[in-house]
Amino acid sequence: MAGERELTSAATGELPKAASPALLSVRELAFAYDERPVLRRISFDLQAGEFVGIVGPNGSGKSTLLDLVDGVLRPSAGEVCVNGKPTREYRRRDMAREVALVPQHFTLEFDLSVREVVEMGAYCRGKDAHSGGDAELTLARLGVAALVERRFTELSGGEKQLVVLAQALMQRAQLLLLDEPASALDVSHQLRLFDLLQQLNRDGLTVLCILHDLNLAIHYFDKLLVLSDGEVAAFGPPDEVLRPEIVEAVYGVRAYLHKHAGRTYLTFSPRLRGERLGRVHLVCGGGTGAGLMRELVDAGYDVSAGVLNALDTDEETGSELGLSMAVEAPFSPVGDEAHAHNLELMRAADVVMVTAVPVSHGNERNIRAALEAAAAGTPVWAVRGVLDNDFTGVTAELEPAGARLFADEAGVLAALRERARRASLTQP
Amino acid sequence: MTSGARTSGRLGVALAVVIFAACLLASLALGPVSLSPLKLAHYLMAGPGGSAPGSIIFWQIRLPRVLLAFLVGAALSVAGVILQDLFLNPLTDPYVTGVSSGAALGATFGIVLHLAELPWMTILALIGGFATLAVVWIAARRRGKIDIYVLLLAGVTISYLVTAVIAVLMIRAGEDMDAIVYWLLGSFSGRSWPEVKVALFALPFMIVPLFFAKEMDILLQGEKRALELGVDVERAKRVLLVTAAVLTAVAVSVSGIIGFVGLVVPHIVRLLVGPSHMRLVPIALLGGAALMGIADLLSRTMLAPAEIPVGVVTTFVGAPLFVYLLRRGRA
Repeated sequence: MAGERELTSAATGELPKAASPALLSVRELAFAYDERPVLRRISFDLQAGEFVGIVGPNGSGKSTLLDLVDGVLRPSAGEVCVNGKPTREYRRRDMAREVALVPQHFTLEFDLSVREVVEMGAYCRGKDAHSGGDAELTLARLGVAALVERRFTELSGGEKQLVVLAQALMQRAQLLLLDEPASALDVSHQLRLFDLLQQLNRDGLTVLCILHDLNLAIHYFDKLLVLSDGEVAAFGPPDEVLRPEIVEAVYGVRAYLHKHAGRTYLTFSPRLRGERLGRVHLVCGGGTGAGLMRELVDAGYDVSAGVLNALDTDEETGSELGLSMAVEAPFSPVGDEAHAHNLELMRAADVVMVTAVPVSHGNERNIRAALEAAAAGTPVWAVRGVLDNDFTGVTAELEPAGARLFADEAGVLAALRERARRASLTQP
Repeated sequence: MTSGARTSGRLGVALAVVIFAACLLASLALGPVSLSPLKLAHYLMAGPGGSAPGSIIFWQIRLPRVLLAFLVGAALSVAGVILQDLFLNPLTDPYVTGVSSGAALGATFGIVLHLAELPWMTILALIGGFATLAVVWIAARRRGKIDIYVLLLAGVTISYLVTAVIAVLMIRAGEDMDAIVYWLLGSFSGRSWPEVKVALFALPFMIVPLFFAKEMDILLQGEKRALELGVDVERAKRVLLVTAAVLTAVAVSVSGIIGFVGLVVPHIVRLLVGPSHMRLVPIALLGGAALMGIADLLSRTMLAPAEIPVGVVTTFVGAPLFVYLLRRGRA
């Protein structure tokens, strides 16, 4: 514990030098490997004590950015300043006292003990190496003191990750850079690692960490830097920078923001290839349509639904997915206005689907609307289960009206794929 | 617990010193004319210039030859440690940098031009060694950094080239050919104090890696990680490569090309005491010297008065030992 306090005071003791100097300041940074540009016009500041994540697609230049911050690479243009001094003016040993890096890949095939590996981190501290607490204490902070006498080559991937983190902590730098530290870890070790990083951050360490899992990024980090194709696409608090439209632009996938049990999280669907497969209208409710909505959207259909009561599970899923819906007030029977909207949506649809939704007097009009669509010549496909949960008898009219009945949702989806296949065959 | 590791390190060094001393004593005592330890002590105390045959054998023949074998063994084995760990390649030996081939070419010129008396031979060998190093160095230099893999490839390539030149010289050499072949095989036969004086030049360079022990440990994780941990990698590489080259060139210039010691002694010592350089370097130094001393002892006594080339003996002694240790794994 003494080590922790020492680290805190060491970190904060540096602060009063200037009014509020940025610990890290990146100005108009550009970098190219030979002729191939990797980073362009990167500018951002990091204040001491911040906890910042870097996200972005593969090849967006994240690891290169960390190497530039650590001074291992030299910028092609612009500069990186640590504590107000450009990285190129640092000697390697002094740099290592300011910035520590945990690399993504770490190879050591020689038979060294964990203690020897961790103690290498104190190299930059020179003669006062032992003032930073010894290897055992550092490993204990990470909850793995027992590893100290083991051979490094015998450790599991997750244990190696923690030992390399311990090695970096031995540098007692103010700024800790991590390159996908969670990529080799299972979910429990991932969460433990990020909890640990958060704890180190509270003890005064400034953290800049590359990660791929956007949901972990939202949950843990104060700020996120989004890199896209070598440029900063966004920098700020997670809920500002991970808006679906930014994620779509950066990663080329559709993103949906959900709020569940007090947390925000993102889910993704592959981006449409541009061609329109058609429009499907869903008659559903009470959660019977949520799965289909997602499947249809992922498959590339325009999806509408109605009439749904506001706050119904299907209505919430539909609004997260951005569907056009005819909506009625919560717990109210379908009114004239919503019914009219529903009919309008059905007229625009290529197929109307009816899920196994329970039918009562409150939503009987939805079935009536489907019957009307069938009469107008729109294919109506219903899951047979809808007949079993009908308290009105209206669904008995579906089959005589020309609706196709399917055993389950999978049958409906198979028919839809078949229809799309035929359509593509008939096209020139 | 820390002290556990360090004690075993100290124990290892102590053991190596004992073995080293025993080998030194055996090498000095045994030969066509055996000298008892008591007589050895007597001759040593009396100093050179004694008229007894034993004293003359000891001062003029035995002592310089043994010292030379120990110095060359130590130099080659320390160079081997440096190069294996810089290249992170277990097949590396002191001869891959091309320095030895360059030295051999220099010596071959010396023989062909009949400059085979000592200072010239050594000077030409040193010039040849350093000239090749310079060529390889320039080839591997990019934007002020030494690319260690280019250096390795350039070294091997230039070795082949230089060997081809030596072959041409040998064909043209006529009656000098035997001398060249004999020199290339490597031997301590007929070497005396002038060679020892040249070899002593290598002594300070054997100490250099000890000052870079931490850097060399960290470099086992690769150059990039070493940079991240604050090592001035280019400086360490420059100093260590030049050190290895000087050690190799000096060793080759006085004894020819003696194989196996520089390749295998570092491996044997690593298997015994681990890869940490504070232990590895001094023990490899003593071990290389002892192995070379014993090999030379065997080379001059087994078929006396005829001599077996010492390079053949190092291989006969070292290869079974190495295979045994590899199979046993780390103690």
